[in-house]
Amino acid sequence: MNTEVQVITESGVGPIGRKRARKREGRWRFAWRNRDYYLLLVPGLIFLFLFKYAPMYGIVIAFQDFNIFDGVRGSEWVGLEHFQKLLHSEEFATVFTNTLLISVYKIVILFPIPILIALILNEVRLMIFKRTIQTIVYLPHFLSWVIISGLFVTILSPSGGLVNQLIEALGGKPVNFFMSNDYFRSLVVFTAGWKEVGWNAIVFIAAIAGIEQEQYESAAIDGAGRIRRMIHITLPGILPTIALMFILRLGSVLDAGTEQILTMYNPVVYNTGDVIGTYVYRVGLGKMDYSFSTAVGLFNSVVGFILVVAGNFISRKLLNRGIW
Amino acid sequence: MKRTANDWLLDTFAYFFLIAIGLMMLLPLLNVFSKAVSEEWAIVSGKVGIFPVGFQLDTLREVVTSSTFSHAFLLSVGVTIVGTALSILFTAVTAYPLSKRFLPGISFVMVLFVFTMLFSGGLIPNYMLMRQLHLINNLWVLVLPGLIGVFNLLVIKSYYESLPEALEESARIDGARTYTILFRIILPLSMPVIATIALFYAVGYWNDYFGPMIYINDTTKQTLQLYLQSVVMEANTSTALTKSVEDMMNMSPEGIRSATVIASTVPILVVYPFLQKYFIKGVLIGSVKG
Repeated sequence: MNTEVQVITESGVGPIGRKRARKREGRWRFAWRNRDYYLLLVPGLIFLFLFKYAPMYGIVIAFQDFNIFDGVRGSEWVGLEHFQKLLHSEEFATVFTNTLLISVYKIVILFPIPILIALILNEVRLMIFKRTIQTIVYLPHFLSWVIISGLFVTILSPSGGLVNQLIEALGGKPVNFFMSNDYFRSLVVFTAGWKEVGWNAIVFIAAIAGIEQEQYESAAIDGAGRIRRMIHITLPGILPTIALMFILRLGSVLDAGTEQILTMYNPVVYNTGDVIGTYVYRVGLGKMDYSFSTAVGLFNSVVGFILVVAGNFISRKLLNRGIW
Repeated sequence: MKRTANDWLLDTFAYFFLIAIGLMMLLPLLNVFSKAVSEEWAIVSGKVGIFPVGFQLDTLREVVTSSTFSHAFLLSVGVTIVGTALSILFTAVTAYPLSKRFLPGISFVMVLFVFTMLFSGGLIPNYMLMRQLHLINNLWVLVLPGLIGVFNLLVIKSYYESLPEALEESARIDGARTYTILFRIILPLSMPVIATIALFYAVGYWNDYFGPMIYINDTTKQTLQLYLQSVVMEANTSTALTKSVEDMMNMSPEGIRSATVIASTVPILVVYPFLQKYFIKGVLIGSVKG
């Protein structure tokens, strides 16, 4: 036994052996002896630098008047000109407002629904019913935005779509939801909810499962009914999870759902539906205004970064939990 | 325990609420499915609701056997299989050294990975890089930029960390090298988490629309999502292309669009039971960490 420990510490295996070995040999020699691990890291690092960090160098064109022929090195530097243009652009103001409006609607309307679903599912005792509902409400999460857009184009079609048939039967006029600036944002919020409310409930369902059963039992003995137990035990029990999820959600407020909107919108609804992500795409790849759209993208990335880091900081301070 | 009037009320509300939500999720799918299999006259006259009127599989058969659909479908299958396999390999290998916290400098490498979750170069710099690498209109562009998902990397890494260290130590004393340990001991033990991650990746590759839309404009290299989007939007604006197909087959745009949507949904429905089993685990490993 003793000799075995000796062998282990000598060869630097195991937590104690490693610590001693690292101390005895020094950092570099220790790292060299473990070079197999670092070699395994090489493919991942090549990927990381080529596809994640190399594009960050391309951000410099936000401060240039970039054109393809001169390249990044030959293009003229213009400093913050594009950012000034951005701040004074009416188009950007519209896009920014759209982004915030759609995001805020999504948060205000869609954030509470998964919590409600989790709370209510918790009250269902009939297991087969519970399972069936879970199977159904998780499904839309796995459908692509293109498919969802196809589903809703069909049921909302102004000529013979299910919803418009109903509207007409009730004596209303058919609405072309996909082409209406009055309805487009509601459409975006509704379909986002259709896709994700069930899926987003999972985290809360798991949090409810983590609440100690004894709390419910003693409350029941004290004569608390199920509604009171839901309000006084379940809800406080998942409050930290709710707060964490809410803070994380606020961190992505500038992403109003780029891929979703790209599959759904058209020039008629640019006024209400164009958001930062789709605007960068339209101006950058559509109109080839590389520098300006990179500036818009950079603005988006920086603000997004600050929001996520701030959100995590607040969450660490208030709840002692975060994503890192 | 005695059921009070309040309990009864709560139960009724719970069942109504959940049935309403469930129906809301199913209705669009049922409606579009019905349109895909209903008789032509019923679709045109707007008689199709939740249930099919009549039954025919001609539209579906036409759609599935059309060369553009089958080509796009097979292409998506190929991208999904190759992409998932490579992503798993790269992620599982990279996560291994990252799980060894005693290695000098390893936490800094971890920070480098996590930082890319929070900040990215953005659309245009990415596009310019792909052009420089000659990846525009090259199918590899759909795989390479997303080879390692950092979220998935974190999931596998935390799984490795939960494996008992004694397993590795005894192998090491027997003289096994790091690579042998990874491929012979760690990976076989990690099959549950690898299955979860594989499904994450596969659904991601299959559903990707943004990537092909930006980087692929050669119509012979259209993935299923791109093709589907063109069908959905063309039916919306009724351009000449689908019109000619309709005339040939005497089918309504409504029926063709519905059949295309359904045919593209089937693969997801087929793997959904597996997805449900593994995904929930994955979500919980990833998100509810103290």
